Amino acid sequence: MFIPSFMGFDKAGFGDPDALAFFARVTAAGGTLSATEKSAVTTLVVTMKANGTWTPMKAIYPMVGASAAACAQNLKSASFPGTFTSGWTFASTGVTGNGTSAFMNTGLIPSVDFTTILSSHLSTYSRTQLRGGVDIGTGGPGEFALSADLNISVIYTYASIGTNSANSLSNTSKGFFLANRQTSTNLKAIQNNTTLASSTTLTTNTLPAVSVSLAQLNGSGLRSAREIAFSSIGDGLTDTQASNFYTAVQVFQTTLSRQV
Amino acid sequence: MMIGYILTNEEYTQVQGQFYTPYEFFNCVQDINGVWFLFLSTQDKETILNDPTWNWILTLPEGEYIAPPAPPFPG
Repeated sequence: MFIPSFMGFDKAGFGDPDALAFFARVTAAGGTLSATEKSAVTTLVVTMKANGTWTPMKAIYPMVGASAAACAQNLKSASFPGTFTSGWTFASTGVTGNGTSAFMNTGLIPSVDFTTILSSHLSTYSRTQLRGGVDIGTGGPGEFALSADLNISVIYTYASIGTNSANSLSNTSKGFFLANRQTSTNLKAIQNNTTLASSTTLTTNTLPAVSVSLAQLNGSGLRSAREIAFSSIGDGLTDTQASNFYTAVQVFQTTLSRQV
Repeated sequence: MMIGYILTNEEYTQVQGQFYTPYEFFNCVQDINGVWFLFLSTQDKETILNDPTWNWILTLPEGEYIAPPAPPFPG
């Protein structure tokens, strides 16, 4: 019997409970998803579970449904639904802030929701070639921050988790960006499957006490107007997991015809 | 050039942080002179157009926003 994947079933015809729960949250919030979006989300969840990248996640925002109600939902669990400020544009290709006043509050507070900063990651999928601003982050003591193109001094891609950062001179702000801290002395800034920069400087285990936001560095502004088509917050990933994560997200974006 | 709605301090107090949908709230920013601005996307405007609680915002004067100096970074 053929069971379409958009119903929340994988190719083998087995329903994925986390995908189905996400669809239910979107519907309850007043959002709607297309058949293609449901299929892409289901495949993403099944793939991440198979390759070991599902468990490290605390929040996944797949940015599907072209509405605040749908894009606010966390795929991983019912925790951390986002709240958007005014000034966002929602489309089937993702969400775009205005770079001035717009951000999304995730409600995820590192000092509360992480036990250590020494294994943590942030990711965003940027579809825009545009300089300036932070795509996801929070400040205060310690720092969680990821920018595809920060445009400050000579820093372009900026990945900071802890009390030091990994910066690079990458000249494109399009693609999948990952700030990945594996240990106290291993922080990487990754674009797609390429490590742009790494830091071996020892960080202190200080977790920010302010909620992580999308499109800004919470606490100091620096807002991004890049279109975001995916974002995640979670524990640190091994190199293999990071590579598999990129592959899964890129397949997800390709299914939705919004890959860059 | 960014064009936004210009708010008095009283109007700012009235709207700042208020939710106009379950997942969206107003966020104002100050310009270089300390004047409050509210930026609404086309979708935001469509959302509040028929909401009597908030559609008065669409009648506010508009003006050019000049950002204050960027904050120091990294913190």
